[in-house]
Amino acid sequence: MEEQKKPSSLQIESVAASDTKRFKVPVDSEHKATVFWIFSFAAPHMRAFHLSWFSFFCCFVSTFAAPPLLPVIRDNLGLTRNDIGNAGIASVSGAVFARLAMGTACDLVGPRLASASLILVTTPAVYCTSIINSASMFLLARFFTGFSLASFVSCQFWMSSMFSAPKVGSANGVAAGWGNLGGGATQLIMPLVYELIHIAIGSTKFTAWRIAFFIPGVMQTAAGIAVVALGQDLPDGNYQKLQKAGDKHKDSFSKVFHHAVTNYRAWILALTYGYCFGVELTIDNIIAEYFYDRFDVNLRSAGMIAASFGLANIFSRPGGGWFSDLLSERFGMRGRLWGLWAVQSFGGVLCIILGLMDNLAAAIAVMLLFSVFVQAACGLSFGIVPFVSRRSLGLISGMTGGGGNVGAVLTQLIFFTGSRYSTQKGIALMGVMILACTLPTMLIYFPQWGGMLLGPRPDATEEDYYTAEWSQKERDSSYHSASLKFAENSVSERGKGRDSSTTVPVDTTPSHV
Amino acid sequence: MARLLSNQATAFLLLICYVGSSMGSVHFSDLKETLIVTASPKSGQVLYAGEDKITVTWKLNSSLPASTDAAYEKVKVKLCYAPVSQKDRGWRKTEDNLKKDKTCQFKITNQPYAGGGSFEYTVDRSVPTATYFVRAYVVDASDTELAYGQTTDAKKTTNLFDVVGITGHHASLDIAAGCFSAFSVVALLFFFVMEKKKAKK
Repeated sequence: MEEQKKPSSLQIESVAASDTKRFKVPVDSEHKATVFWIFSFAAPHMRAFHLSWFSFFCCFVSTFAAPPLLPVIRDNLGLTRNDIGNAGIASVSGAVFARLAMGTACDLVGPRLASASLILVTTPAVYCTSIINSASMFLLARFFTGFSLASFVSCQFWMSSMFSAPKVGSANGVAAGWGNLGGGATQLIMPLVYELIHIAIGSTKFTAWRIAFFIPGVMQTAAGIAVVALGQDLPDGNYQKLQKAGDKHKDSFSKVFHHAVTNYRAWILALTYGYCFGVELTIDNIIAEYFYDRFDVNLRSAGMIAASFGLANIFSRPGGGWFSDLLSERFGMRGRLWGLWAVQSFGGVLCIILGLMDNLAAAIAVMLLFSVFVQAACGLSFGIVPFVSRRSLGLISGMTGGGGNVGAVLTQLIFFTGSRYSTQKGIALMGVMILACTLPTMLIYFPQWGGMLLGPRPDATEEDYYTAEWSQKERDSSYHSASLKFAENSVSERGKGRDSSTTVPVDTTPSHV
Repeated sequence: MARLLSNQATAFLLLICYVGSSMGSVHFSDLKETLIVTASPKSGQVLYAGEDKITVTWKLNSSLPASTDAAYEKVKVKLCYAPVSQKDRGWRKTEDNLKKDKTCQFKITNQPYAGGGSFEYTVDRSVPTATYFVRAYVVDASDTELAYGQTTDAKKTTNLFDVVGITGHHASLDIAAGCFSAFSVVALLFFFVMEKKKAKK
């Protein structure tokens, strides 16, 4: 069996000549793209990539459209710090369960319809933000808008359906990173739009912010329509068409669920993701107001500074994924785990320092460095998630994603609501919590590859690990063939210098999964 | 190692900032209340932003010697938040250092002192719903605060009035929000129906 540079979830075979003619990009036996040409819009693969990241970007823009305008909104609606904190929590809590449900929805109706439905159904919440008059309406508007962040799952699912294993990491990392960019872009867009309306058109402050909300709303509507009109679920077509052909073996939800929730590694990664991605969401919510209030900059400047935090995503999250792959080449899974712990912990240290900065220039500098590390940690997390389970990959991705939002909810609840802690103290304490919640990375152990502190067991194999998720009866019916292939390819996670040749008997009949 | 260095850097930066900020800024506790300021709203009166007017008058407290106001050049009259509107709202916090103080955020008028005067102010449309009082600072030629006067007592509990701000909410916004929302949902349903039709073929 040919050794792959990166692990593949499915065997990659040479492509039949007729297949290459159909697609504008090189594809594998499943017609998944084997290249990732960022600047191409070729249908269906690269078009799916662009639709996916841009629609996810628009959801981020809408979800975090309120924070940069809070200095105006809080006076218009008479909000207290408590109200603002609760709305911030609401904005990220809806997606906790929505992310779990999206995985199932993608399985049933395909990522295209699932994400378009979510995106279009949440747009009324964005438009109606312009007509609210009280703190409780503000909270509801932010709560329902925040559901759209579940499009993260459909985005990753869609990329995994379109790109073959050696490229799926990059596709996922760039799509997620560029989507998260929306949290930064909105801090620039909203104050700019507000100022345009307030000064150029001459509306009063309290009307201008309301009109401004139509911009994220229209962006989201356009993106949702583009996804459903121009997108395609799989390289060969849409779900409904393919399901009729009877190709896909449907796994049982209860089995997938069981193997996800009983895998302790999924829970640890959900916690650690809560303290990189969750922290990123928290910062998106509080940072503009922080700079406006503490350093007396105007709305537009506060927005620009806050934006630079989210904009770092353009390279830092993909960079984290790339760094994870680099560490794995040399040190295997142990390298990935150490990388995640080190990068995320250093992010925690920088967070503590940020809270202590009293000078504007220093605070900006620390914040920028902090953004790179915390976002890279997100990329590093998803360098590990694909290996936790093969059978329950979708649900475990959903758990990790959901865990990110739970982290955001908890952090905002503890440190940024009410008047117990000032915002700067809250930021410093959040850094301490990052350090504490990253420590459990040390507990993740793969028998075949080892963990941070312990080496691998000499007799453990990848096959044992991945086929343990299937009962003997299921194995007899060969339902686990995809897991077997994945196990064979994942031996590269042993790193250099170990016996990478597999002793696993190759499944002689490659079955279409 | 990097942590140690950054701690040192932090300490150094903090020192510079502390020294920088304490130099040359006036503290409210150093100012004397030498002016008598009166405003037209009665205690508890409700005013509407953009419509109602406030007439403010200020003059030197007659019980003080006449030379007290020798250095007074200009008077800055401001609309200030009462404590009840500052609660749980750190962005309106009262700080003794006037450069950091956020109590008085709305300018009523800046004009030459001239021994006393008055001004009729239409409550600006950007003034939010809250409880207020009026304070006037007198500044010297270098724009440094010398003294003040206010319509309320030292604890800021008496003679407060309310302003009801504009909502900024117009009927046209309701209609636009409704139309755009309906369009998004209808577009989704349209494509769903198209899918079903295609699948049937």
